[in-house]
Amino acid sequence: MEAFLQELKRSLGSNDDLFEMQYVFLGQVVTLLGYTTLTDISMTVSSLQQQEHNARGSRVGEEAFWHTIGSVHPLSVRLAVSAVLDGQVVLLIEGRTAMIVVDAVQRELTRAIEAPSNESVLQGPIGSFNEDLDTNLGLLRKQACTDSMRVLNYSAGVAQRKRLSLIYDARHADADMVGKMIAQIEANLDREIATTQTLSRMLGFTKWQAISKFNTTELPQEAVSAMTKGKVVILVDRLPIAYVLPNLLWDMFALENDRNYTVPIMIIIRTIRVIGVLLTLLAPAFYVALVAVNPEVLRIEMALSVAVSREGVPYPAIVEMLLMLVILELIIEASARLPKSIGPTLTMVGGIIIGQAVVTARLVSNMLIIILAATTIANSTVVGFQNSLSIRMFKYVTVILAAMFGVLGIMAGMVLLCSYLASLHTFGVSYINLSFKGEIKHG
Amino acid sequence: MGKSDKSLHIVLLYCLTQLGVIYFVYPEDIIASAEEGHWLPVVLGIFVNLIVTAAYMKGLRYFPKQDLIGILTGVGKTAAVLFLLPITVYLFMVNLITVRAFAEIITIVFLSNTPLWSIIALLLAISGLIAMNGAFSIMRTGVLLGLLFLPLMAFVIFMSFQNADWRYVFPLLDDNLGFLTHKSYLESLFAFATSFLFLGFVQPEFKYSPKKVLLGIVALIPFYLLAVYIPLLTFGRATASTFKFPFVMVVSTIQINWLMFDRVTMFLLLSLISFTMLFIALLIWQTGVIVGRTIPKVKMSYIVTALSVVTFIGCVMVRNWEDIEELFLCNAVLRLYVWLIVPFAVYLLGLREKRRSGYGNR
Repeated sequence: MEAFLQELKRSLGSNDDLFEMQYVFLGQVVTLLGYTTLTDISMTVSSLQQQEHNARGSRVGEEAFWHTIGSVHPLSVRLAVSAVLDGQVVLLIEGRTAMIVVDAVQRELTRAIEAPSNESVLQGPIGSFNEDLDTNLGLLRKQACTDSMRVLNYSAGVAQRKRLSLIYDARHADADMVGKMIAQIEANLDREIATTQTLSRMLGFTKWQAISKFNTTELPQEAVSAMTKGKVVILVDRLPIAYVLPNLLWDMFALENDRNYTVPIMIIIRTIRVIGVLLTLLAPAFYVALVAVNPEVLRIEMALSVAVSREGVPYPAIVEMLLMLVILELIIEASARLPKSIGPTLTMVGGIIIGQAVVTARLVSNMLIIILAATTIANSTVVGFQNSLSIRMFKYVTVILAAMFGVLGIMAGMVLLCSYLASLHTFGVSYINLSFKGEIKHG
Repeated sequence: MGKSDKSLHIVLLYCLTQLGVIYFVYPEDIIASAEEGHWLPVVLGIFVNLIVTAAYMKGLRYFPKQDLIGILTGVGKTAAVLFLLPITVYLFMVNLITVRAFAEIITIVFLSNTPLWSIIALLLAISGLIAMNGAFSIMRTGVLLGLLFLPLMAFVIFMSFQNADWRYVFPLLDDNLGFLTHKSYLESLFAFATSFLFLGFVQPEFKYSPKKVLLGIVALIPFYLLAVYIPLLTFGRATASTFKFPFVMVVSTIQINWLMFDRVTMFLLLSLISFTMLFIALLIWQTGVIVGRTIPKVKMSYIVTALSVVTFIGCVMVRNWEDIEELFLCNAVLRLYVWLIVPFAVYLLGLREKRRSGYGNR
């Protein structure tokens, strides 16, 4: 007993927030062990005392009392350590070879359910996932409200043990695909899953994908709608997002929340997103191609006005374009890094530089600023931030090919992109499928 | 990979590869072959194509668990060499000619200052990348390209009626069937001679319904007619017959006031080239499959790379358009062989197989 306590403390290391207290319950001396930073000790102890009082009143035996306050286990350092790390309290009884893991009162370490911070919702359910896995599961259950939802819990990782939940709708999901995922997860439970990269390695995806294999969302509504389309949702403790597998091309354009509008409006909204993606990929490339390689394709008036606007710009169109695109990327990245109170300064300074100064200084042409603005705006119409990142990256492919081969290069870039998208598949589901029921075995 | 109906993918791929080919040499040949009533040669050609493709698919049906290579090697070593060697050489030659010809067209139309070899390299690199991912990936790329470029093409075709004079349709019928013996008419039939082959290569993995493929061919009839008739309606037969690529010429004459682009030809050519890239990818893939079957240890991606490099060297060695035409003529015997002998040979082999298994059952 004493030896076990010593070994347990050694395993947990010397920590000042580890508490060890002795109490007497039903005449037995017990030792309580846990972290003050994770558990509320006074509340836990008073709850235990209350239970002891009740037990005395109803003349419950000592053995039965131990079972009411927690789960009784044989002595095991491993189990005790993971219980303490989970915020529970280990109770050791003097002279016994059993320990009790008491479900202690937790400190409030999780924020409340709030509005999403990365996806904004117009006229739809606004509550979003937070860092607590159980809360997120609860949100999903509440949203789905169906008896066919299945939840599987795992604990993965060695250095950092993280809980992971795999959720699917048994009525819609393909059993074959779910089986493959479960097998993949169970075979790799010793992998760390603290980030999306490590999680994707655990699921057996290659590191070098330009498009995420997961579709991520903060909204329970989107996660549940994905489940009813047969997809699988993965939640990881401490990550306020749901990973939806498999990710499909159409997810870039369609949100479940679009269905809160009438059909014509929904179609228009989605068309706008498609136009946005095409514009992002094509506009900068067309500028480079038409200025540098194929000016004859343009109408003569247009070609002249482009030429006039570029008068005095000392370098080729591709350098001009890349220069401004990189500056724009810097602005986007910087405004993501800065605290909210300083952000507006940056936007203002960036606006002045891009909008006025570079043109006046004849470093870039007016036309380029228009193209650039259109590209940036169009790029943000895509659903999901990770998709917008991928599209942002792909536009460089078309821009560079356009600089080399003109309009032909743009077309080649689009063909290349199409073939890349067509070659992707996740657990046997092709990326470009609209829906994948009955498609799963291919690929 | 399991089996399920992939008819749509396959029909679309067939149609796209055909569309990529028929807007260049095909109208020129048909216009040259007949004085009037051009619809008859077009429809007759498609009819022959229907019969050939139907026979080919019918033959393939008798071997549901094998692809074309499996069927031909199943007959015996000599037969396999007799059939597969010409097919391989043919596919390779078609690939070479297509890449080289398109590179030439591209240089003429938009990139007069870009060196030819870099255009060839671009075409082959992208097609090779598509081919590396395998048949299903080629089909799915076809779907995406169709979504992107078919509307563009439809727009151009719609616009190309701008200068049409409908009186040129008449006379509807030619009295003599002189076109049948015309050299250009036989050449025009070559437009059909390649696309259908892949139906035998995708077979064991992907199921398709032959009826839908035939329907797809029938659905293409308007496009063949448009390819021939739009130049005729715009210029009249006498003028149209003097042009190298009559359809491309028509598109160059289109003037659209509200468009910021001066040359609508670009859109048409871009769409056609994208379909042609798909066609080249398909050719490389088919050649790769045959080569891969003879040297099974080498990875498909290496074979595809090697084929692309060899094609590149071949293309660079072709000096000018005359050389291309010469190659085209050299290839004619092989073309006839692949287009007329192979499908019917497969059909006969199928019949034999059926009879044999019929005896086995008794």
